[in-house]
Amino acid sequence: MLNSVAFFLMSGTNIIWFMIVFPAVAGTVVCLFGKNYAIRSVAVLLSSAFNLLFAVSLYASEGFNAVFPFVSPRFDMAVSVYELSSMFLVFAAAAFLIVCLYGIVFLKDEKYAGRFMLYMYISLSMINGALLSDNLGVMLFFWEGLLCTLVGILLINNMENPKTAVKALALSGTADLLLMLGIIITVYRAGTPYISQVEKLPVAGVSAAGFVCMMLGALGKAGCMPFHSWIPDAAKDAPTPFLAAFPGALEKLLGIYLAVRIVVDIYDYKPGSKMSIAVMILGTLTIVSAVAMALIQKDMKRLLSYHAISQVGYMVLGIGTALPIGIVGGLFHMINNVLYKSCLFMVAGSIEKQTGTTDLRKIGGLAKRMPVTMACFTVSGLAIAGVPPFNGFFSKELIFDAALESNMVFYMGALAGAFMTAVSFLKMGRAAFAGEMKLPVDSGIQLPGQNKDAGKTGRNVGESSLGMLVPMGFMAVMCVVFGIANTLPLDKLLSSALGIHESFSGWPHSTMLVVISIAVLLLAVCDHIYGFKKSGSAINAADHIHYAPGLRRIYHMAEEGLFDPYNLMMRGIEAFSGICVRIERGIAWIYDDAAVKLTDGTGNLLSRLNNGSLSRYLATAIIGTAAVALIFLAVLLQGR
Amino acid sequence: MRVIANIQMVANIAVLFFVIPLAIIAVNTLLPKKLAGRVSFYLGGFAGIMQAAAAAADFFLLSANRLHEYEFSLLWDLSIEGSERFSVDSLSLVMLFCIGMVTIVSVLVAKQTVHDRKRAYVNLLMTLILGMNGMVLVTDLFSLYVFLEVVGLSSFILIAMFKTDTGLEGAFKYLVMSVMATVFMLTGLAFIFMQTGSLQYKHVGMNVLRFQSHSQSVLIYAALILLISGFAIKTGAVPFHSWLPDAHQSANTAISILLSGIVIKVAGIYGFIVLVDLFNEVPAINMTVAVIGTVSIITGALLAMQQNHFKRIVAYSSVSQVGYILLGISTGSTLGLLGTVVHIFNHATFKSALFSNAAALHEQVGSLDINEMGGLEKRMPVTAFSSVTAFLSTTGIPPFAGFWSKLLIIMALWKSNMQVFAGIALVASIFTAAYFLRIQKKVFFGKLPDKYENLTEVKGTVKFAEIMLSVVTILTGVFFPLALLYLKGRGII
Repeated sequence: MLNSVAFFLMSGTNIIWFMIVFPAVAGTVVCLFGKNYAIRSVAVLLSSAFNLLFAVSLYASEGFNAVFPFVSPRFDMAVSVYELSSMFLVFAAAAFLIVCLYGIVFLKDEKYAGRFMLYMYISLSMINGALLSDNLGVMLFFWEGLLCTLVGILLINNMENPKTAVKALALSGTADLLLMLGIIITVYRAGTPYISQVEKLPVAGVSAAGFVCMMLGALGKAGCMPFHSWIPDAAKDAPTPFLAAFPGALEKLLGIYLAVRIVVDIYDYKPGSKMSIAVMILGTLTIVSAVAMALIQKDMKRLLSYHAISQVGYMVLGIGTALPIGIVGGLFHMINNVLYKSCLFMVAGSIEKQTGTTDLRKIGGLAKRMPVTMACFTVSGLAIAGVPPFNGFFSKELIFDAALESNMVFYMGALAGAFMTAVSFLKMGRAAFAGEMKLPVDSGIQLPGQNKDAGKTGRNVGESSLGMLVPMGFMAVMCVVFGIANTLPLDKLLSSALGIHESFSGWPHSTMLVVISIAVLLLAVCDHIYGFKKSGSAINAADHIHYAPGLRRIYHMAEEGLFDPYNLMMRGIEAFSGICVRIERGIAWIYDDAAVKLTDGTGNLLSRLNNGSLSRYLATAIIGTAAVALIFLAVLLQGR
Repeated sequence: MRVIANIQMVANIAVLFFVIPLAIIAVNTLLPKKLAGRVSFYLGGFAGIMQAAAAAADFFLLSANRLHEYEFSLLWDLSIEGSERFSVDSLSLVMLFCIGMVTIVSVLVAKQTVHDRKRAYVNLLMTLILGMNGMVLVTDLFSLYVFLEVVGLSSFILIAMFKTDTGLEGAFKYLVMSVMATVFMLTGLAFIFMQTGSLQYKHVGMNVLRFQSHSQSVLIYAALILLISGFAIKTGAVPFHSWLPDAHQSANTAISILLSGIVIKVAGIYGFIVLVDLFNEVPAINMTVAVIGTVSIITGALLAMQQNHFKRIVAYSSVSQVGYILLGISTGSTLGLLGTVVHIFNHATFKSALFSNAAALHEQVGSLDINEMGGLEKRMPVTAFSSVTAFLSTTGIPPFAGFWSKLLIIMALWKSNMQVFAGIALVASIFTAAYFLRIQKKVFFGKLPDKYENLTEVKGTVKFAEIMLSVVTILTGVFFPLALLYLKGRGII
């Protein structure tokens, strides 16, 4: 059956209709006719299931290239379906299905659910298009389309205060601009816009600039530094399913996909090269700084969003090594991240739905009330911390291996990241689930800014509905499956898609690395216990790091947004516009003040000379005659 | 045969330009006083209409015969050596038409602004027309001077005849300045006569080529300097302009229309046209006229911005617009001359319109201080509309008439390698817009003062004049390309 679907998609323009147009149409239908919850759910489930079916069938096919003439010969819709791209299609479709299922339930009573779904579906169209297109220019079109829907979702509930949307637009827009520049340079150097026809470009000279721009654009979409800072803000403003879908899954998929294509297909990117070191430094910096920020967060969604950034660092670090083990590790980590990070965001959403808040200071003791949620959190938390035998452990080990092979420094950075990840999740888990219920028993007060489930009293807090538990549970199970049976993703999917014949599956072959990792994890546990004892509560277990001498100032500055690239950028822009305003005022002064005063003053002077005295009139006339004579003289002298 | 008859017609009609004013004076003087009070204006208006009609008819007859010029006399034989010759050509006919048109407007306005001495007004109007007609029809410099004096004398009396203080003062200033001009001109003419032995245009034009010796050319240059200064005084070009605002502001509005609309052009500008035509071998003359024109444009505009009296602003605007006309003349090219003539016509139209507005405002508001006015467009829509069209035309906004003439002048300047002057003329349009926007804003837009709540639109002939002039301005602008085609088809340009 898969083959027949694949064959159907391959023929004619079907692939465009069903992979790109179909999701957008489905989204419009859901938005227009989905007033009823049941209809909406069914429509969403069916359409995303169909999308998954299409994606799987494309993966099952042998792959093909197709060109659909479009505006001009160089700007045509060139589609390239092969193992890597169709694998990403499948991941995106699966993640989309799960997140949408969750989102439908989460947003059951929200008015904006239809609009949210419309944006989600258009995003799916764009992602499908970007993953399918072989033409870099067309890919950029879909890529930018994703930015539009991103801003659209961020604006849904924030029309009056679109600060986060503007920030996201500015940062992602800058990244996309870099990508555009990079694509222009790449196409110019390669002489062709088709990725499949590009002969690996050397990373030197102008091409190096193209590589840097493209890479920054791709990683910026994935949420890497320095284009990350809108994500923690979105955690505050945007609906939770958005966090699970965009920073959690879809953007990472797309960004990392392009990064891998750049490294593997477009550029001749060599291990140990300067560019490789630069990319690894970027990755390590992202890991350490983002996780350090995550450590001190007291809000679940904000904490998770910093982890969403820090995890990208691992992927960048892995891909940046340019070693097969690193690239496979990075990709595997990306898949794992989609699984556990979406799961974690869903857990946060589940808690938010039940308690009305994600502030860790307000909640606690949820273990008894929400056991399934807690189980999901435990699995995904252990996975993200890199505890064996969950999936995160295996992908991190691969990355550690690759990092160590490149340089000790990167390995240390990655280890530090792992340590802080573990610490922060211990803190979050214990604060949320252990201890006593902190919510007021029967406050009945509506918390502002929350949905109407908000303000539920502690007494009524119970397990979330099945529609939310199933996606969470599925993700958590997959974390275990991909950990224990890591042969499936690593060898069957990734290595084969990348054409690597080495096997990276099974237990990590370097025992020493495993021992060190476990030691670090144990250290994290010790640190947590120390912090717990010192501060007396789980929520403040990381305070000894937060308020450590020296770090305290840095943290304070970071929380103030002093390191936020957006703020730095805005300050630069403000300075620039300040200069422009000065120049503009200067010009305006010339014709508003100077010219007016000059004409006014001259006119005034002239009219005072013309005071009505007849003798003066006569004198002027005589002077005029003399002037005429002078002009005659001047012209005559010139004539000689 | 038919052609000869037509040519005879040209002469017959041309004679009317002398006959009509004289006949009207005779009739008007002989009428009993009571009757004269009632019909004087109709006689004046009849003269204006006949003049315009005759000019138009002659223009088309002349171009139908493919003649550029036609000489005629009144009662004497042309073949006698030294006899006075008159001549009509396209340029003089356009001037004659403008004289007729402005006369009509003046009479229309006078009907509401002149309440006594009506017979004297009409008689002086007729002598003024006679003088102006003579100026554009004669073919020698001395006759030109004689008719210029007729124009001047009529003007002084017209300004002074209502015996207001300001009117007398303005007339006196005009008189003194004109005397200076007379002295300059007579001296200049004497110098030329010493050189050429004749003051007929064709003799002067031929002989001017012959002076080679140094002392001879010095005389001619001195003559030119004096003549230019003299005509500049009559034109009101800067720096000879000082009398003009006083005279034009203080006169009755019906007379201001005449002075600003046509007298400065016939008495001054036409003199410049003749001078540049006769002495086109002397390069200094073009340069001098261009410089005077540029200075006039800028200074006139700057001064207009400072004034608060409606008529005074419009008078200074005349100084500024005369500058454009002088620039057109200074090119010495056919295109420039065409631009000049069209601008003379347009200026006659929109300046008459603006003075009609002044008359309307004076009648209805009772004052012409623009600071006291405001928001009058609600109460006086016709006046406001006519004023705005006149302003747009003056500034040179397409498709109003003034746009075409300014365009022609600037193009002519550019083609004559006078790009700097072209640039200044173009940029100076901003000044024109500046002082006119100021006046429009203060008078017609903005808030209506409470005391003018019961103001009404002007009625009768002034309103008719305003509407007529607006229509002329708009139609000229819209159909001007057709006029250009016609002129081209007739070989006039």
